[in-house]
Amino acid sequence: MKNQMGEIKLKLERITKRRLIRQNEDMEEITVLKDISVEIKPKEVFAVVGPSGSGKSTLLRLLNRLEDLSDGSIFLDGQNIKDMDVIALRRKVALVFQVPILFDGTVERNILFSLKIREEPNLEGVAEKYINLVGLKRNLLSRNSNELSVGQKQRISIARALTSEPEVLLMDEPTSALDPTATHNIESLILDLKSKIGLTIVFVTHDIEQAKRVGERGMVLVNGEKIEEGEIPYLLENPQNSITQEFIKGILT
Amino acid sequence: MTQNFYHVLISLALVAVALGISWYEKIRVEKDIAIGTLRAFIQLVAIGYALEFIFDLNKLWLILLTILVMVMAGAHTAGSRTKTLVPGVRISAFSIGVGTFFTLGSMLILGIITIDPKYVIPLGGMIIGNSMNASALALERIDSEVKNKKAEIEQALALGATACQALSRSYKITVRASMIPTLNLMKVVGLVQLPGAMTGMILAGASPLSAVLIQIIVIYMLISAVTITAVITTRIAQRGYFTKAHQLVERMV
Repeated sequence: MKNQMGEIKLKLERITKRRLIRQNEDMEEITVLKDISVEIKPKEVFAVVGPSGSGKSTLLRLLNRLEDLSDGSIFLDGQNIKDMDVIALRRKVALVFQVPILFDGTVERNILFSLKIREEPNLEGVAEKYINLVGLKRNLLSRNSNELSVGQKQRISIARALTSEPEVLLMDEPTSALDPTATHNIESLILDLKSKIGLTIVFVTHDIEQAKRVGERGMVLVNGEKIEEGEIPYLLENPQNSITQEFIKGILT
Repeated sequence: MTQNFYHVLISLALVAVALGISWYEKIRVEKDIAIGTLRAFIQLVAIGYALEFIFDLNKLWLILLTILVMVMAGAHTAGSRTKTLVPGVRISAFSIGVGTFFTLGSMLILGIITIDPKYVIPLGGMIIGNSMNASALALERIDSEVKNKKAEIEQALALGATACQALSRSYKITVRASMIPTLNLMKVVGLVQLPGAMTGMILAGASPLSAVLIQIIVIYMLISAVTITAVITTRIAQRGYFTKAHQLVERMV
């Protein structure tokens, strides 16, 4: 147990997710994720790479229990997340969505969201600290959230996720809505956060080059199945599996 | 003057005018007018006899039973209007019931009215009618709030908000929206329309001033009942969209 806590942050044990979807008139059950096992180490940047529709986003949603899995177990620091208080779990395992959604009101109100709902008494200087951490100027704090660019919004949404001092940060294609410059900025921010606050980061991307730039280890996910896993860039430069090879050549997108 | 059956027959002439116009202008609502005319006649005569019977008997259990039947009829209308995820009829029955019995009960305790069917039943009818609209509007609004703001709600949940916190804005919007008809009534009462209770009393020969007093009480009573119904309907209905683990139910995902 002690050993496990030191070496494995997140452990996914044979997880399967089935979901009912409406197919024309009927409800049909589809398997979104099939029997996936993987271990993620503390303070590593783990990339989940795969074409769209491969179940990457669903995987992240299972990790902070926006949805529950159908089979298998997920452990955080050796503890089954099903046995944890779900609100506490979501504060430890924060999720940043693909398209940043800021709430109405000021940037400051957004950043302080999770602290305010918990009625945290001392918020002095907190918003300044976090807006600084994501590399934005503090004069943005009083601005209305809908006046920002998408890139700024994504950084604010990262700052907002960090205020509850999570141990794991899940990022669902955090740059897919952004232009190249903003993408570059977010990528450096991810690396920055890892070194500055020692976060474990799991990020999802369909962009192999991005996975190479940011990821340390990763896995390839296609059609809900783990194809292979390993060190980056080795995994993506010397794929062993033909499906991974096809994906990298751009045949699967 | 008092109206008799003969006057009713003569007033059919006005229905004939409507039928004639519909026929001449090819609007083709003759059948609807005919059925509506007959329906209104049968329903009102039946309720007239029923009320006559209830008033004569003047028994508490019969008054309560009548109110209960009216609540159920209102709940059925309010709850089955929309196809939503939640059991609308049951929610409406409970919330209209609480609003109605609380308001009528308070009026009895405060000595504004006595347990007399001639007060309790018409006032109960007005309360239930307005509460029914509030409940129907609340069910419909909360459903569209959750459907349209799914991303925002999940973002709040992901940040560690409880289902209740994630929905707090939608909750307020829903309650407010379902109270609008009654709030509007309070604004324009006497200016744009003379409401039913007052009209009826004036037609029956009461002095306008005493009719006004009753009408003021009716308005105050309605706002109380409608507020209670709107809040309870929304509170219960919103729970139906979430699991115990503060997740949106799967069908919403």
